[in-house]
Amino acid sequence: MKQDTATPQAPMLLHLRANLPIVISFACIILLLLLGSLYSENFLSPDYLIQQLKVASFLGVIATGMMLIILMGQIDLSVPWLLTTGAMMASAATAFGPAGEFLAVPFGVFCGFAMGMVSGVGVAYLRIPAMIVTLAMNVIAQGLMVAYTGGFSPSDTASSGMRYLATGNLIGGVPNAILVWIGIGALAVFVLNRTTFGRAVYAIGNRESAAFLSGAATQRLMMFGFGISGALAAFGGVLLAGYAGKAAQSMGDAYLLPSIAAVVLGGTSILGGRGNYLGTVAGVILVTLLQSILSVMQIAEFGRQIIYGLVIVTMLLLYGRERALR
Amino acid sequence: MADGQALLRMEGISKRYGGVHALEDAHLDVHAGRVHAILGENGAGKSTLIKVMSGVVAPDQGRMYLDGREVSFANPAAANRAGIVCIFQELSLIPDLSVADNIIASNPPTRFGLIDRRAQRRLAEEALVKAGGEDIHPRARVGDLPLSRQQIVEIAKALARKPRLLILDEATSALTAADVTRVMAVLKRLRSDGMALLYISHRMHEIAELADECTVFRNGRNVESYEQGAKTDNEVVEMMIGREYRHAFPPKPPRPAEETPPALAVRNLSWTDKLSDISLEVRPGEVVGLGGLDGQGQRDLLLALFGVLRGVTGEIAIDGRPMAIDSPRQAKSADVGMALIPEDRKTEGLMLPMSVLHNLSFAALGRHARFGIIDRQAEATSVDEMIRLLAIRSNGTSIPVSALSGGNQQKVVIAKWLMLSPRIILLNDPTRGIDVGTKQEIYQLLRKLSGEGAAIILYSTDYDELIGCCDRVLVMYDGTIKTELAGDEITEHALISSALNIAPQAGAATGEAGHAPVSAASGSVA
Repeated sequence: MKQDTATPQAPMLLHLRANLPIVISFACIILLLLLGSLYSENFLSPDYLIQQLKVASFLGVIATGMMLIILMGQIDLSVPWLLTTGAMMASAATAFGPAGEFLAVPFGVFCGFAMGMVSGVGVAYLRIPAMIVTLAMNVIAQGLMVAYTGGFSPSDTASSGMRYLATGNLIGGVPNAILVWIGIGALAVFVLNRTTFGRAVYAIGNRESAAFLSGAATQRLMMFGFGISGALAAFGGVLLAGYAGKAAQSMGDAYLLPSIAAVVLGGTSILGGRGNYLGTVAGVILVTLLQSILSVMQIAEFGRQIIYGLVIVTMLLLYGRERALR
Repeated sequence: MADGQALLRMEGISKRYGGVHALEDAHLDVHAGRVHAILGENGAGKSTLIKVMSGVVAPDQGRMYLDGREVSFANPAAANRAGIVCIFQELSLIPDLSVADNIIASNPPTRFGLIDRRAQRRLAEEALVKAGGEDIHPRARVGDLPLSRQQIVEIAKALARKPRLLILDEATSALTAADVTRVMAVLKRLRSDGMALLYISHRMHEIAELADECTVFRNGRNVESYEQGAKTDNEVVEMMIGREYRHAFPPKPPRPAEETPPALAVRNLSWTDKLSDISLEVRPGEVVGLGGLDGQGQRDLLLALFGVLRGVTGEIAIDGRPMAIDSPRQAKSADVGMALIPEDRKTEGLMLPMSVLHNLSFAALGRHARFGIIDRQAEATSVDEMIRLLAIRSNGTSIPVSALSGGNQQKVVIAKWLMLSPRIILLNDPTRGIDVGTKQEIYQLLRKLSGEGAAIILYSTDYDELIGCCDRVLVMYDGTIKTELAGDEITEHALISSALNIAPQAGAATGEAGHAPVSAASGSVA
């Protein structure tokens, strides 16, 4: 009966309510910055802020793929090792002469895409829960990479192109990594808002059966979603390898929870169908700042992890309650 | 026996849902040792009556007496304690648990706070014996049993609660004729043990065999109670129809000539055991109704045509060309030009949290996009056009579609398909739960679309609608088309008697092979 008594709400109000998580996220970012500045004036210096944005941009690239998957009502747990796969494969390609050097980045990204597509087939066509498929894919990628590095000693040095993408400065003092994130972010905003693919992503996340009965190619789209997520995780790995100068086995471990947390803190519904990219931007910056501040405060590692986990749960609780009230 | 005090007596029971009277001043007496059958059309108030009786909903008004003492049940558990147990249409068993676990699910015997497995098994065995399921092992997994055995387990589960009044709501609708015979035997034995049974079924021959007394409901009111056998089938059907308010339907134009080639032709379509050997043709400009009781395969037929179901056999021809439709995506393609207005707009028709605009344009999004990029201008223009055409009342197009009223939501579902200008339109009970005004607008729209050359298949649970809207009606029974009614033959009487698969006139007792043992009694109640 509730929906029969159509309550005409002002669109503005709806807007604000839908964007509340984004507003909260940005408010928290400012709060964190102020809190940090109590410890050290450096916190509000342009250098520090640029540095934080640069670190955030790696997570930003990865979280973009995660957001796509979460919008479809799925989850991608294969991020850590697809990221590592991207980094290692790109580094490995570097060893094959100038052509390898040139194709290093696309090859690394392609490896992530291909493995993501395999997960996508499992989820979309074989109907295996995404949690299982992507977890399995994570382990498979890990096995492949261990096998690859175990037999002989491959090149693990990032190509100069990778280093340039991650650490160079094309425009003045703006690191290229930030430009890369801006580029990918702009593309994501365009795809989500202006293309049939983006519209279908929201539709699938909201009600897959309705999208299917409307004639959307739900299975194919979902498969590609996982492909894109894999590609972006691998691209994040390529950038990280460029940043660190080399690929390493455990480099992806620290990115699973932050990528999910950034998306959800930014107001994307963990159940799918609702969310906006600006929120993910806010979430990524928030998570990065939180990590940075906890380390600046010189809290011991265990304490940092506990606080980090508590903050994320608390914020999700806030949003969850807000949703339940509707 | 009926002269003694009633085990359960209901007086003046009323229940409203919103503006709809589900029950109005209903009364009923149920006696121990008798089977009382309840008859009525879909939506006559039978389910609400049972829900009141078994504590699922509280009545707005009225009194209930058990053994002459006034009672009221706060919840189903309270009704259970008083000895009233209901077996619902859908099985309530947990497939992954054992038979014994299911039977004693709600109140297992315990020792020291743990479930006493041995006592549980003994109780389950006793209940199974009473329910006629001696051959079912208490430790078998319920999911491994065939459907008919599961129904026996369901009955055993009810009996384990030691009922004095057992309610069976369409409990036999999933069973084959042979299983029905076994269940009947069990029920007769329970009756002779002194239990009161309330039996709800659309199967007239089962009622004829089992019931001692019948009550007919219509629009939430009692029509009449009578001793079984006192009325002919035709009289019962008359009572179920009544003379009711009719909706205003647009006039029907002359039907298209027989020789017009069909837009949709189906030959020998079958799907698992739900649909068998269905053949039909729909010509452009024609509105063909699907009739019959709820759940006789009408929904599956529409889904099969739309390419949703896997493993459909038979031939489908569109404009004379054979076509294998294997997905909704293909069904809506220009080659086929089909649209399906699904049954449940909330889960199948709409993405509720998304905006009116995005919902409206979703099916036809490809038409407003180049290389996958949406032309938002074109999208907004055609959405506005649809909103005008169907007079959708919405406060702008950016609000979530869930904020619209039910009728307007349904219009959005229809409009999103009309944007594709489909040539074949399948509608699955499109007016369910919407207001009369919107209903009439939808009727007008259907006539307009058929006038423009669309071929329409309309499934409706509302007989008035089939009579008022359709040029022909195909009545389905048990997954196949039993009767075709055309023009003036489409009367409420004909619809109901063919839906119940009884022949008002002689000579239609053929083709009942699937329901052999008991159906011999059908049509011979008088």
